[in-house]
Amino acid sequence: MEAIKDFINLVSRPQIFFPVILAVFFFVFPPTERLLAINKKLGLYKLWTKRGGIILFSFLVIAFAFGLTDPHFTKIVTKPDNVPIIGLAFLVLFFVWYSMKQAWENDQRIASGLRPKEAEDAKEKILVWPDLVYIELIAIIGCTILLTVWAIILKAPLEEPANPTVSPNPSKAPWYFLGLQEMLVYFDPWIAGVLFPTVIIIGMMAIPYLDPNKKGCGYYTFRERKMAIAIFMFYWLVLWFSLITVGTFLRGPNWNFFGPFEYWDVHKLEALTNINLSDIIYMIWLKQQLPQNILLREMGGFLVLLFYFGCLPLVLAKSVFKSLYERLGVFRYSLFVIFLLMSIGLPIKMILRWVFNIKYIVAIPEFFFNI
Amino acid sequence: MEPQERHYDVNKLNIIFAISSCVLLVTLLWMLAQDYAREWKDYQRAFRALEIEKTRVKYDAAIHEAKDREEYRALEDQLKGAREALAKDCQAEAKAQEQKKVSIENDLLNQQYRFAKAEHDAARYRLEIAQANHESYVREAQKEFERLGRTVSQLKLAVEQSDQKLAELQKATEICSSQLVELERKERSLLQKANILERKLAKIDPNGMNLTNRIADIVRDLPIIDLANPNYKIEQVVVKDITEDLIFAKVPEVDRCLTCHMGISNPDYKDAPQPFTTHPNLGLYLGNESAHPLEEFGCTVCHGGRGRGTDFISTAHTPSSVKQAEEWEKKYDWYSLPHWEKSMLPMPSVEAGCFQCHGAQTTIKGAEKLNLGLNIIERAGCYACHEIDRYQDWPKPGPDLTKLSSKISRQWAYRWIESPQTFHPNTWMPTFFKQSNNSNPQYLKRTAQEIHAMVAYLFAHSQEYPLTSIPVDGDIQKGKEIVSAVGCLACHRIEPRPVGQPMTQDTLRREQGPSLSGLGSKTSKAWLYNWLKNPHGYNSKTKMPNMRLSDEEAADAAAYLMSLRNDIYDTVEIPAIDETTLNEIVLDFLKKSETFNSAQQKLTAMNRETKLTYAGEELIRHYGCFSCHDIAGFADEKPIGVELTEEGSKSVERLDFGFVPIDHTRQAWFAQKLKDPRIFDSGKVKPYDEQLRMPNFYLSNEAIGAVTTALLGFVHETPEAKIVPRTPQRLKVERGEEIVRMFNCQGCHTIEGEGGSIQSTIKDWLVAYNDVSENEAGAMVASFSPPNLIGEGKKVQAQWLFNFMHQPTTIRPWLKVRMPTYGLGTQSLNDLVQYFGALDNQDSLFEHKMEIPSSYPDGQWQAGERLFSKDYFDCAKCHIIGSQMPRGSPENWAPDFALAKARLRPGWIEEWLENPQELLPGTKMPTYFDPDNFDTAGPEDILGGDERQQIRALRDYLMTLTDKTPTQPTAPPP
Repeated sequence: MEAIKDFINLVSRPQIFFPVILAVFFFVFPPTERLLAINKKLGLYKLWTKRGGIILFSFLVIAFAFGLTDPHFTKIVTKPDNVPIIGLAFLVLFFVWYSMKQAWENDQRIASGLRPKEAEDAKEKILVWPDLVYIELIAIIGCTILLTVWAIILKAPLEEPANPTVSPNPSKAPWYFLGLQEMLVYFDPWIAGVLFPTVIIIGMMAIPYLDPNKKGCGYYTFRERKMAIAIFMFYWLVLWFSLITVGTFLRGPNWNFFGPFEYWDVHKLEALTNINLSDIIYMIWLKQQLPQNILLREMGGFLVLLFYFGCLPLVLAKSVFKSLYERLGVFRYSLFVIFLLMSIGLPIKMILRWVFNIKYIVAIPEFFFNI
Repeated sequence: MEPQERHYDVNKLNIIFAISSCVLLVTLLWMLAQDYAREWKDYQRAFRALEIEKTRVKYDAAIHEAKDREEYRALEDQLKGAREALAKDCQAEAKAQEQKKVSIENDLLNQQYRFAKAEHDAARYRLEIAQANHESYVREAQKEFERLGRTVSQLKLAVEQSDQKLAELQKATEICSSQLVELERKERSLLQKANILERKLAKIDPNGMNLTNRIADIVRDLPIIDLANPNYKIEQVVVKDITEDLIFAKVPEVDRCLTCHMGISNPDYKDAPQPFTTHPNLGLYLGNESAHPLEEFGCTVCHGGRGRGTDFISTAHTPSSVKQAEEWEKKYDWYSLPHWEKSMLPMPSVEAGCFQCHGAQTTIKGAEKLNLGLNIIERAGCYACHEIDRYQDWPKPGPDLTKLSSKISRQWAYRWIESPQTFHPNTWMPTFFKQSNNSNPQYLKRTAQEIHAMVAYLFAHSQEYPLTSIPVDGDIQKGKEIVSAVGCLACHRIEPRPVGQPMTQDTLRREQGPSLSGLGSKTSKAWLYNWLKNPHGYNSKTKMPNMRLSDEEAADAAAYLMSLRNDIYDTVEIPAIDETTLNEIVLDFLKKSETFNSAQQKLTAMNRETKLTYAGEELIRHYGCFSCHDIAGFADEKPIGVELTEEGSKSVERLDFGFVPIDHTRQAWFAQKLKDPRIFDSGKVKPYDEQLRMPNFYLSNEAIGAVTTALLGFVHETPEAKIVPRTPQRLKVERGEEIVRMFNCQGCHTIEGEGGSIQSTIKDWLVAYNDVSENEAGAMVASFSPPNLIGEGKKVQAQWLFNFMHQPTTIRPWLKVRMPTYGLGTQSLNDLVQYFGALDNQDSLFEHKMEIPSSYPDGQWQAGERLFSKDYFDCAKCHIIGSQMPRGSPENWAPDFALAKARLRPGWIEEWLENPQELLPGTKMPTYFDPDNFDTAGPEDILGGDERQQIRALRDYLMTLTDKTPTQPTAPPP
C-alpha cells in the first residue's frame, strides 16, 4: 500500500507527470493522419466507447476511493474549498468523453457513407412545452436541491477577518486563476500575469477567423477536425484543467509541490538551483565571466527567441504545416502559428525548468525584463 | 385530435416532477430546521429548566418562611375576622350591588354628555360659518346651537349628580372596609418576597401559565416568528471603547458569551454545571459595584476568545490540559479555531489577561500566578537576554565578574559554569552544558574545552581587588549568631529550599541573594571579610547592602560562613586542556570572519593561552554571558535573545516546534521551552554555532506555569481605554514598587500588605539564642522584627525618611536585626520618599518643622508632661527616650521619643494617639482614647477633660523631648 502511494507521489511530480501527459496526449487526440493511424493501431479510440467510458470512470472512482484511505489525501480533497474541484474533474472528463464518443460514432457513420446522427435529429421537431421547458424546470429543481443540500452539509468556508500581516500559507488564487498562478512559477509576472492572459483572450477571439473549416458544423466529429480539436483539447485539458487540479491538490505551503499522499509540511525545503540561459552559455560552456554588456550577455537568449518566433514558423510552413499554410494564407497562418508557439512555449518552458533548471531564457533584471 | 408526438413521456416527467418537488420541499424544511437548531438554544432551554427549578425552590422556601411566622398566622386570623365583619356589618353585598348599578348609570351619562358636547361644538362651527357666509342659514343654525347648548347643560348637571352619588357610596364602603384594606396591605408586605418569586415563576414556568400564555410561550419561539420577541435569543454586551482591530476597521467588542453562560453574574448558580456556573469572583468582576463591571468590560477583553461566536467551537474555547482537550473532542467535536489569533486563555493561565491593563504595576493584586511569573522573570533575569519593555532600565541580574580573580579560584569557576545546580540547587545561574542538545560524547569533549576557555578569559581580564587583612580571628559560634540575628537571612538561605517546597513570592523574597551553603568552598575568608565590610567596594552596583558590621563582627561572620563547605563539589574532576579540541573551537570562530587559510595561519600563530582567551571571548559572546554579568570587554554588546515584549501575541506559525509532538499552541511551546530549552533541536541536524543555546533554569512545573502565564500576558494589543490610568501618583507608586522589589524591602518589611518574610528566621533566632519556647517566640516575633511600613508616608517626615534610608540610625535599639545601608543614589531615595508619600496620598511631602510657639498657653506643656507621666499614660514604660531605656521588658519596647521631633509628622502623632489600631492594626500601642466613647475617654482632670486638647498637649510635649531632661521651651529672646 505504502509502496503504491510512494509510486503515485513520485509519478505525480510535475517533472514526470507533465511530460508523460504531453507524450500521451497526441496519441489520444491525434492531430495528424499519421498519429491517428497509431491511435487506431493501439486501439486508443476505444476509450470513446461505452465500455471505454465505464473503464475510464471506474478507474477514476477506484483511484479516488483508494486515495480516501489516506488521511493526507482525504484532508485536502474534503476541504470545503476543494470539493467543487473534485466535481469539476469528474464533469470535465465526462463531457470530454461524451462528446468524443459521439464524434467517433459519427466518424464511423461518415466512413460507412451515412450522414451524421445529428442530421437525422434535425428532421424531427419537438414541442417547447413540455419537451424543453418541463425538463428544464425539473433540472432547476434538481439543481436547487443539490445546492441546498450541499450548503447544509458543507458549511461555507468563511474565515476570520483577513489580516495582511498574517498571510495564509499556501496563498492560493481562486480556482479559476490557479492555472495563471501555476504559470507564475515559470514566467515573470508580466508575462504570466499580463501578457499571457491578454494573448489568451485575443487568441480565443481570433479562433473563428483563423479556422475557416466549415466541416463539423452542427455535428460531432473528430476526423474532420483533428488538428482543431487536438489543439483545443491541449489548451483545455493540459494547460487549463490539469494546471487547476495541480494547483488545488498538489501545491502546498510555500507553493511547494506535494504528492497526493504527502503531508503538507510547512518546513519542506527544496533546493533552488535554477540558472539563466546566459549563465549556461558563458559560465558552463564557455567557462567565461558574464559580459558586462547586457545585450551581449543575453545574445544567446535573443537568438533562441528569434529562431523560435522568426524561423520556426517558416520552417513549419514548409514542412508540417504545408497544407495548412496553403489553406490559410500568409496572414492567418502567421497569427495562428504565433499563438500556437506562444502557448506551446509554456510547456516548453516548464520542461526546460525541470530538466535543465533554466530560470530565464532572456534575463534582464535591470529592466525587469525576463522571459 | 391526433396524439402529439413527444420526445419524452409526459406521465413519466410528471412523476419525476412530483418526486423532485417533494424532495425539494423536504430539503427546504431540512434547511429551516438546520438554521433553527442552534447549540445555544439547547443551553438556554436547559438554563430555563434550571431557573424554574431554582425559583420554585426559592419560592417554596420564601412562602414557607413567611407563612410559618407567628405574625402571619395572627394576621390570617385577623383577616378572616375582618372579612366576616365586613360582610356582616356593612351589608357589603348589597352596597356593592348598588355601587355597580350607579357606576353603570354614571358611565352612560358621561358618554351622553361627551357626545352632546361634541354635537354642540359642531353646531357652533356651523353657526360661525353661516354668520360669515350664508346669511340665510343663520337663524336655523342659531336655533340648533342653542338647543344643543341646553342639552349639554342638562346632561352636565346629571353627570355631576351621578358623580356625587357614586362618591358617597364609595366613601361609605371605604370607611367600612378600611380595616380590611390595612390588613391586606400588611399581608402583602409579609409575602412580598414570595410574591415577587411567584410572579417570576408565572413568567418562566409553562406549568404555571394559563392556556393562552402557554400557547404564546410556544409560538414566540417558532421559526420565522421568533424574529419578534423570542424566549431564546442571543444575549450580548457591546463595549464601545474596547475595539477589535480588523486592520481596515476597528469594531467595538461584542461579547455573546452570556448567550450560554447565563448564570455568570447571578450568585445563585455557584454550584450549577457549566456553562451556567457563576463567575468565581463576583466581587472583583461583572458586578456593577465591582472594579470590572460586565457592561463596561465584557468578557473577551480579559479571557480572550471570539466574543461574537455563539457555539462552543467558534468562540475559540481553549482547553486547560491535554486531557480536557480529549474530553472536549469527544463531547463537542472540539478543534481549535485555526485562524483566530486571540484564542481564549487556558484557565491555568487566565491571569495573563490582567497584564494587558495592569502591566505597569509591579504587583497585581489578586493575580498570584502572574505575579509569581513576573517575579521569576525578574529573578531569573530573562529580560537580560530577551528585551522586555517593562524591564528596560533593570540592572543586570548576575554578579559583576570584572574582579573575579580576587573572589574565586579557576577550579571553582570551571565547576560552577559546568553545573551551577550541583553547588546550589536553587541558584538562578542557569546551566548551559550537558543539555539535551549537547550531551553526546563529542560535544562533552568540546564542552570541557569551552569552559576552560571562558574561565581563562574571565581570569585574564579580571582586575586586581586589594583585600585588607582580617584584624582579628573570628569566632565561628559568634559568627553564626550574628548571621542569624542581623538580618542576613532575610535574603540568603543557609541551606537550600527543601526539595518539594513550591516556589512562591515569599520563598523568592527569602532567596534574594544566593544560598550561603558551601561558601567556604567558593571563596576566601579575606574576600568574604572585605565583602561583608563593604560590598560596594567590590561591586558598586551590587544589591548586597552594607550591614555596618564592626571589624570583629565581620570577622566572626566570615569565620562562620567559611566553615560552611561543600566538599563533594571540591572533588568534581576537571578534565585537562586538550589542544586538538581547543583548536577546533578556535578555528570554528576564526572561520566566521576569515578565509580558511588565514584562519589556519592565525591559529598556528597563537599560543595556548591566546587560544584560550580568544575562544573564551567568542564563547562568552556566543552564550551571551555578558547579558547577565558585567564582563570586561563586553560593555556595548546587545542582548542575544528574542525580544519578548509581545511574545504573547506571536503567531503560532512563528514558533519552531521542530519535531516535538506537542500541541501547536503558544502555551504548550512556552512550557516545553522552559522545561527543556534545547528540546526543539531534537531530531535536527545543525552545526555547533546554530544550535539552540538558551540555558536551563530547572524550573519546577509550578514556576513554568507561572512564567508561561506572564508570557501569555505580554501582548501587542491592549484595550487602551481600560488601562489603569498612569497618573503622576501612580507613576510614583510604580517606580517605588520597582525599587522595593529590586532591593527586596519586603524581605524584612511589610509594605502594601505584603512581605515580612524574615519573621520565620527571627523566630528561629529567638528560639536558638534567647531561650524562649517555640510558642513564646511566635508571640514575640513581631516585636523583634523590622516594622510594618503601612502608613509610613503619613507617619514620618520626608527629610528624615530620606536621611534614614541614606544612612540608617537606630530607632529601636532592642532589635538585633539591622536596617542595612543600600548605598542608594539620590534619585532612588527621592523615588522611595515619593512612593511612601503617594501610597498615603500625601500631596505635600515636606512641611515646616514644628516649633513650640513662644505664645504657648500656660499650663499646656505641663498638661502634656502630666499625661506622659506615670500617673496617667506612663509612656516611658515602653518608649525609649534617648539613652533612657524603658522599664518594661524588651519585647514591649517602643521607638525612641528623642527622635520624634525630627522623625514624626505632628498630624500623624495626633491621629496615632487618637486611635493607633486604625493606623496599624494589631499594634501593641494601647488605645488611650476609646474611639467608641471618645468624649469621655481622656482623664477629666486635665485641660478640663477636653480630649482634643489633651492629644494636642501630648503631641507638643513629645515634640520637645530630647536626650536631656525635658523642659518647657522658652521663648527666644526678642
